Amino acid sequence: MAVQIQEESLLSVCELTKSFGGNKVLKGISFDVRENDVISIIGASGSGKSTLLRCINLLERPDAGRIIYRGQDMLSRANKINLYRSRVGMVFQSFNLFSNMTVMDNCLTGQIRVLKRCREEARKRALHFLDKVGMAPYINARPRQLSGGQQQRVAIARALAMDPDLLLFDEPTSALDPEMVGEVLEVMRDLSREKITLLVVTHEMAFARDVSSEVFFMHDGKIHERGRPEALLVQPQTVEAREFLSRFMQ
Amino acid sequence: MDRGVQLLNDIGKLWGRYGTSYLKGIQATLTLALVATTLGCLIGFGCGLLNTIPVSKGDSPLKRFSLGLVRSIIRLYVEVFRGTPMVLQAVFFYYGLPYITGNAIKFTSIWLASIIVVSINTGAYMTESVRGGILSVNPGQTEGAKAIGMNHYQTMTSVILPQALRNIMPQIGNNFIINVKDTSVMFIIGFPDFFAAHRAATGATYLYFPSALVEMAGYLFLTLIASFLLRRLERLMDGKSSYELAARDPLVMTAGIHRHPRVSS
Repeated sequence: MAVQIQEESLLSVCELTKSFGGNKVLKGISFDVRENDVISIIGASGSGKSTLLRCINLLERPDAGRIIYRGQDMLSRANKINLYRSRVGMVFQSFNLFSNMTVMDNCLTGQIRVLKRCREEARKRALHFLDKVGMAPYINARPRQLSGGQQQRVAIARALAMDPDLLLFDEPTSALDPEMVGEVLEVMRDLSREKITLLVVTHEMAFARDVSSEVFFMHDGKIHERGRPEALLVQPQTVEAREFLSRFMQ
Repeated sequence: MDRGVQLLNDIGKLWGRYGTSYLKGIQATLTLALVATTLGCLIGFGCGLLNTIPVSKGDSPLKRFSLGLVRSIIRLYVEVFRGTPMVLQAVFFYYGLPYITGNAIKFTSIWLASIIVVSINTGAYMTESVRGGILSVNPGQTEGAKAIGMNHYQTMTSVILPQALRNIMPQIGNNFIINVKDTSVMFIIGFPDFFAAHRAATGATYLYFPSALVEMAGYLFLTLIASFLLRRLERLMDGKSSYELAARDPLVMTAGIHRHPRVSS
């Protein structure tokens, strides 16, 4: 009797479509994410990268297709959305830290209210991750008192403190001043070395090259080309990917 | 000069005879304004929240119908109470209820009647303010909350409402100050407020101007104090402008100590 050992996907996206009005933004996206994958999604503005991420954690509701998380279709089980979202972390371009809370409370709220952790436990987790992103000394600060890079590092700690199965990054460095991009990328590089599953929309090609297990190039609402970073980024097969990448290599 | 002395004399006379009734009036005015503003805010928050529950295409027809119904009722409530004078609303309720029910229901307490009328009036204004306050919170805040798995209720109570409350603090303060002054129309159903003291005093002494001066100064004093306290409250809600750095404690995780001592300053 042959036992087939199949590496099961953490998340499978099947034929996902999404339009805004008459504008088709996603035209049938399919891919699998296995545990500990680090997938970078690159592509020009308007190619649907951010919409794809927002559909994955259901901030936008896809028009059609399936999002299978640990064997369950999240689009047919509306009641489980919040539980699913708590397992899929998201780091936004604009940080979206809760501006009525301190850094510490930003990292505590989700753990206490959603995961029902006790305060002590939540604090311990929060401090652990705040320390990891180098923001532990700032637990009493409020978001508006911090620089963009600092806010983004707190946002990463907030997402990590939920112990997500999968972490989505939506252009985490695009809203930052150039001198702050480095500190955030450094944190993300550290993360990628650990047992963690990441899906990163980015314009940082060097980052994509160094940390990804796979790179998707999106064009016109589709995954136009996909491959290992050293292949796709160095020798893209399609004209569109070549054109897109040439703009970054100058 | 003579007129000045005369005025001081008259005010002295009024204060001697009606001082306690002025002070009691002030007390009643402040109590009514405070209670009614608080209740009005609660009404406003309730209605404002109901008005901002998201409805999506996927929701059941029952939910969409009942939400639509609730919203129409709130709309009607806001338009009617914002669009009619409070002085008439007081008469309408105080005399209308016994009239319609054949004296089966009537207000036994002028206080209760006044509180109800001023509260629903304030609530009508606050409903719109709260809706605006909620809508003015950056949508990113809701997305941040949703992304860590918070449901609508948790998002509202932890993230949106505290910020909306801060946003509408100036309007709450405005309403309180308006209520301090406008509760004076409750004299129409015999509410014993600060303005009622003026009517009592002038009815007997005919010292209309001196009493009006006392009233003007009194109301201005109350509203100035209220403005001052509200500013303080707003600053308090903003939190400290600086923050203390927490000392870096290398033992935080390894030894399982998760108490984070602050740097003493």
